[in-house]
Amino acid sequence: MRDAPILLVEDNPDDITLTLRAFAKNGVGNEIVVLTDGELLLTRLLPADGTSPLRPAIILMDIHLPKFSGLELLQRIRSDERTRYVPVIMLTTSTEERDVVASYQLGANSFVCKPVAYDEFLRTVRTLSAYWLDINKRCPSSECPP
Amino acid sequence: MMGASHRVVAMVTLVVTVAIAVLAAGLVIGDAAALGLGLPAVAVLGGAGLLIARTAARDEHALAHARAVEREARADADRLLKVIDNTSAVIYMRDVRGRYLLVNRQYEQLFGVRREDLVGLTDHDLFAKPVADAFRANDLKALAQETPTVMEEAAPQPDGTHTYITVKYPITDVDGHPYAVCGISTDITDRKRAEEQVRRLNAELEHRVRERTVELEASTRELDAFAYSVSHDLRAPLRTLNGFSEALLEDYSARLDQTGRDYLRRIGAAADRMGGLIDDLLNLSRASRAELRRRPVDLTALAEQIADELSHADPDRKVELTVQRGLACMGDSALLELVLRNLLSNAWKFTSRRATARIDVGAVRDRSADDGAVSDDGASGVFYVRDNGVGFDEAYAHKLFVPFQRLHPAIDFSGNGVGLAIVARVVARHHGRIWAEGTPGQGAAFYFTVDARPGTDGS
Ligand SMILES: Nc1ncnc2c1ncn2[C@@H]1O[C@H](COP(=O)(O)OP(=O)(O)OP(=O)(O)O)[C@@H](O)[C@H]1O
Ligand SMILES: [Mg+2]
Repeated sequence: MRDAPILLVEDNPDDITLTLRAFAKNGVGNEIVVLTDGELLLTRLLPADGTSPLRPAIILMDIHLPKFSGLELLQRIRSDERTRYVPVIMLTTSTEERDVVASYQLGANSFVCKPVAYDEFLRTVRTLSAYWLDINKRCPSSECPP
Repeated sequence: MMGASHRVVAMVTLVVTVAIAVLAAGLVIGDAAALGLGLPAVAVLGGAGLLIARTAARDEHALAHARAVEREARADADRLLKVIDNTSAVIYMRDVRGRYLLVNRQYEQLFGVRREDLVGLTDHDLFAKPVADAFRANDLKALAQETPTVMEEAAPQPDGTHTYITVKYPITDVDGHPYAVCGISTDITDRKRAEEQVRRLNAELEHRVRERTVELEASTRELDAFAYSVSHDLRAPLRTLNGFSEALLEDYSARLDQTGRDYLRRIGAAADRMGGLIDDLLNLSRASRAELRRRPVDLTALAEQIADELSHADPDRKVELTVQRGLACMGDSALLELVLRNLLSNAWKFTSRRATARIDVGAVRDRSADDGAVSDDGASGVFYVRDNGVGFDEAYAHKLFVPFQRLHPAIDFSGNGVGLAIVARVVARHHGRIWAEGTPGQGAAFYFTVDARPGTDGS
C-alpha cells in the first residue's frame, strides 16, 4: 500500500505541517492529500459529478473539523458502498472516552491520540504507517468493492 | 318507680354509647384531645337520657310521682348542663330535622348566640348555605349509623375558618328510633395549621432540592463541556510549540549555538510539562464527573495488577511488595483502581532511594466505627498502603490532598501533586475517609475507608 495516497483530514495548519514532516522523517513516500474540511473530503471520496473518486490507502481523520465533525464524516464514509471498507484512523487530540466509543461504534479501524511531545508523535507515525501501509492486509477489492 | 327504671336503662345505654363514641374517637383521631371528649360526652348523653326519661315519665300512671320525678330531672339536667358548660369542647344537639335542642356554653361563646334564641333554629338560619349544608350532611350521616361517627368539620370564625374534629352520634328513643343527633366538636385549628405549615415547608424544600439538582446537573454539564474543550483546544497549541521547537532543533541545529539549542529544549519541555498538567487536571475532573457504579470490588486483585505494571515499567527497582489476601469492598472499580494506582505509584516513587523498598497493602479494623465493618478476611474496614520511603513531615499533612500541593521538591521526586487530590475525590464519592501518617526518613502510610452502603453519590 505504498503507492496509494494517504488522506489527511485536518484543519489546523500547524498540525498539518508537523504531520507531513513526521511522515517525511519516517520515510513514508506515499502522496499525502490534505483536506481541510469534511465537505472537500466528501466531494473527493464520493464525487457526485462523475469524476473519478480518490482511492486512499488510509484516511487519517481529526474529530474537530469545520462543517462536518470527524464522526459525521465517518458515518458517511461507512454508509457508502464505495468507501465502506477503507481504513479510517481517527488521529485526534481528544482522549475523551465518549469520542473513542463513538468512533468505534461508527466503524473506525483505529483511534490514535496525538501526543504533545513531538518525538512521541514521530514514533506514533512510524508505527502507524508501518502497520497500516505494510503489515495490514486489506480486504481484496473483488470482495470489498474499492 | 317504672320511670326510675326507665331512666336507669336509658342512662346505661347512653353511657355505653358514649364509651364507644369516645373509644372510637380516640382510635380514629389517635389524639389526646379525643380523650378529653369523654367528660362532655357523658354529660350530653346523660342529658339525652333525661329527655327520654321525661317522655317516659308522661306515660307514668302516678301523676304524683311524675311531678317529683320531673323536679329531680330538672335538678339532674342542671347539674349535667354545668358539666357540659365547663368543657373546652363545643357540644350541641339537633333533632332529626336539624333544629337545635341544646348547646353548651362553648357553643354560645363561639358563635355569639344565646341558647334560648337557638331553640328551634337550624344551621341554615345561622350559617352561610355551604357551611350549613355540610353540617346537615354530617348530621344525616351520623343519624344513619348506629355507632359514633368521627369527622372533620370547618366553621367560620372571625379569624378565619377553624377546623374541628367532631364526633356525632344518634340519640334514640326507647324504641331505638333516632330522634336527635349529638355532636361534640374540638377545635384542632392549631394542629391543622401546624400540619399545613409542615406540608408547605416540605413542598418548599422539595422544590428547592429539585431546583438545586437542576442547577447541579447544568453545572456538571458545563464542567463536562469545559473539560472536553480543554482536552482538545488547549493541547493543540502545545503540540505546535513542542513540535516546532523539536523541528528547529533537528533541522536547524547547525545554525544555533549551545545556548540557542538549550532555549529551544526548554520551550519544548515546558510545553510537554503543560500537556502533562492538562492531563492531570482532566483526570481530576474525570474522577469527579465519572458516573459511580457500585459493585463488589476485589482490591487485592487490583493492587496486584498495578504492582505488576509498576515493576514491569521499572524492572531495575528492588521492591518487596505484599498485598493482603481478600481485600474487598463495594464501590466503583474503575475509580477505586485510580485510588490504588495513585497510592501505589507514590509509594513506589518515594521509596526509590531505599536499597530495599517495602510496600504493604492491607486492611485493619476501623476503630472509629463500632459497627466494626471488618471481618477477619479483610473485607472492608480501613485499607492502607504503607511504605518505608522518605516519609513526610506531618505538620504539612493537611496539604497532601490539595491539588498541586507537594511536600517534596520536583528535583528529588517528579510529579504534579494531583494524584492524592484524585484519591481524595474518589474516596469522598464513596462516602469514605482518607488520612495519612508519616515520619521523615522512615516512611508513610495512607489509610482510607469506603462506605459499603449504597446510595447517593457523595460528590
Ligand atoms: N508515599 C509517600 N511518601 C512520602 N510522601 C508522599 C507519599 N505520597 C505522597 N507524598 C507527598 O504528597 C505529595 C502529593 O502527592 P500526589 O500524589 O498528590 O502528587 P505527586 O505524586 O507529587 O504528583 P502526581 O501524583 O501528580 O504525579 C507528594 O508530592 C509528596 O510530597
Ligand atoms: Mg502521585
